[in-house]
Amino acid sequence: MDWLCIGLSHKTAPLDVREKMALSPEKIADVLQRVSNSVGETMVVSTCNRVEFYALARSTEKARGELHSVLSSLGGDNSLQHLYEHDGDSALVHLFRVAASLDSMVVGEAQILGQVKDALELAQRVGTAGPELVRTCAAAFASAKRIRSETEIGRAAVSMASAAIELATKVFGSLEGRAALLVGAGEMGELAARHLRSARASPIFVTNRTRERAEQLASEIGGQVREFNELHAALTVADLVVCSTASSSYIFTKEIVFPILRARKHRPLFMVDLAVPRDIAPDLSELDGVYAYDVDDIQRVVADNSAARAAEAAKAETIIAEEIARFVRSRSIRDGIPVLAQLRARADQIAKAEAERTLANLGADLSEKQRRTVQAMAQAIINKLLHEPTARLRELRPDEDANRLADAAAQLFGLDSGASPPADNPRPPRGELKTAGSGGSKR
Amino acid sequence: MSRTLLSIACHEYATAAILYLAFLVRQWRFFAVAGRILIGTGLLIHAVALGSALAGQGGMPVGLAQGLSAVAFLLLAIFFVLDLRYRIPVMGAFIGPAAVAVLIPALLMSTSGEPMPSGFRRPLLPVHITIALIGIAAFAVATGVALMYLLMERQMKGKHFGVLFSRLPSLTFLDQLNKQLVLWGFVALSVTLVTGAFFSSSTDGLFWKWEPKEIATLVAWIIFAVLLNARFFAGWQGRRVAVLTMAGFCVLLVSFLSSYDPSRHLGVFR
Repeated sequence: MDWLCIGLSHKTAPLDVREKMALSPEKIADVLQRVSNSVGETMVVSTCNRVEFYALARSTEKARGELHSVLSSLGGDNSLQHLYEHDGDSALVHLFRVAASLDSMVVGEAQILGQVKDALELAQRVGTAGPELVRTCAAAFASAKRIRSETEIGRAAVSMASAAIELATKVFGSLEGRAALLVGAGEMGELAARHLRSARASPIFVTNRTRERAEQLASEIGGQVREFNELHAALTVADLVVCSTASSSYIFTKEIVFPILRARKHRPLFMVDLAVPRDIAPDLSELDGVYAYDVDDIQRVVADNSAARAAEAAKAETIIAEEIARFVRSRSIRDGIPVLAQLRARADQIAKAEAERTLANLGADLSEKQRRTVQAMAQAIINKLLHEPTARLRELRPDEDANRLADAAAQLFGLDSGASPPADNPRPPRGELKTAGSGGSKR
Repeated sequence: MSRTLLSIACHEYATAAILYLAFLVRQWRFFAVAGRILIGTGLLIHAVALGSALAGQGGMPVGLAQGLSAVAFLLLAIFFVLDLRYRIPVMGAFIGPAAVAVLIPALLMSTSGEPMPSGFRRPLLPVHITIALIGIAAFAVATGVALMYLLMERQMKGKHFGVLFSRLPSLTFLDQLNKQLVLWGFVALSVTLVTGAFFSSSTDGLFWKWEPKEIATLVAWIIFAVLLNARFFAGWQGRRVAVLTMAGFCVLLVSFLSSYDPSRHLGVFR
């Protein structure tokens, strides 16, 4: 079993490739089911900045081929040139870095951890996340949380929505009294709405495909609901437009917006598109007085690599290295020699039972100290006896030799299972990792 | 004496300009505050120098050197007031160097202009000249603002969020400031044209002589008139207005410099 991570992100693929690859949870479940047989434990992290497969592959070669064919069927053959790949421990490091938001476009942004948790949860639901994947993710989440509390990496990071609003102030100065139009009332839209309200934009119009959700958000933020088909009229009044729908085609194109500009008397129009795939056609900002931005642009605004941020990132990398080392150590103990645990449990059981029996034979007139001495002697005998084999097995790197030796030990002592890691065991320890409802973005 | 004072003021302005440029790179409050203080004291010293020179000339600057000196003074005075009002030290990085560039030739030129022929001493003339200079300074600042607008818009449209992007004020603010400055400059320019015509008729009986200076001024006036109309009635703003402002100012610059052409316009200001 070997780790493999294949995917693409904002670092390797432009937005128009990424938006083609953006997967809905249903689609991910579908894909997971398709690959799980041939690949092994798998999960897919899909956000507006990345689509990544993490797999504990039985055969790296086979898994790579399978994942490549899945990815090219999703994004076309061209998408293969944007892929990167990590295997073995480097895949592990990548997972830890992604979860800790060190690989994010806006380093330190908080949403990614929730998004990885969602990915794991989905894989668990579909049944493609085994115990090893769950354990690894738990370690990655723990390290991410440690980084969040021990470094200041998250402090400077701004959410996409607030960055978008900040960008709007570069056009309008104060947003007080500026009319805003929210297209899409999902999680992103809601975030944007709150920022707009605190920037005292008013009125705030809310449109959504389902009116109910629009009404809910509008009442929360003191906005007004507009029907989806009244979009053009609303655009005539609005100064700012924030789009975050799940629409797969453009809602605003040059052809739609250009005629409206005249009715707006050429007042500047600020449009921001927080959706992947995009809602606003990219050529819209060619229009005079129209300032249109997509996810990548927004993130570039905040992704200033200040020295302070870099120092915090360096601290975070150190933490990751520590956490990885710790995880790998505990994994090698776990992996190589589960038989040891069984052996020790069996021996402890025997020692305890024999001590009890001896004590019963000796009668009730023993002092507490004498009783404890008898128990200690039994424990000491098994400790001495097991010390050497335990040490020998631990010294071995977790490879085939170790497995053979562990198998032999299991047979000699009459223990039930072999030495291989419990990956064939399909039930993930759910209770151990209840992922909290996280602040993931719309995807 | 006034020359020494002028030189001190010029040094202060130059230092302030460097500080404002440094402020562009590193946004330390110290740069902005020190720049403001230097400009403020420089303006005081400059005012004394100009005042003492102008006192003996019926209150008007005579010759190109004094004209340039007065323009530099007005430029910085307008900036100083705007900075106090709106806190836009970043503008100093644009206006500061420009003012120094205007003032240096004034310092290098001889300031001992001959006294004006007594025939030109009319009560209207100081008003005409002063208002003309105020207008030019207002349009010069408006041009600086227009340049800032264009730079900012380029950053916004090109999505290159560089140093200027984080330092410059918002597009709407720059556009509004441009509107104010052009409006005031236009009023000053109109008064200049009218008083100039009256002055001209009082000296040689002609309101309009089709001199290059007059033509340039008229063209500039028309450009700004069109600009303001487009702004108020057709909703023009932003880039188009900024470009027009700069064009109008270039024409006005021709008019300003030709005022000091001794072969034309009677050489009154020589």
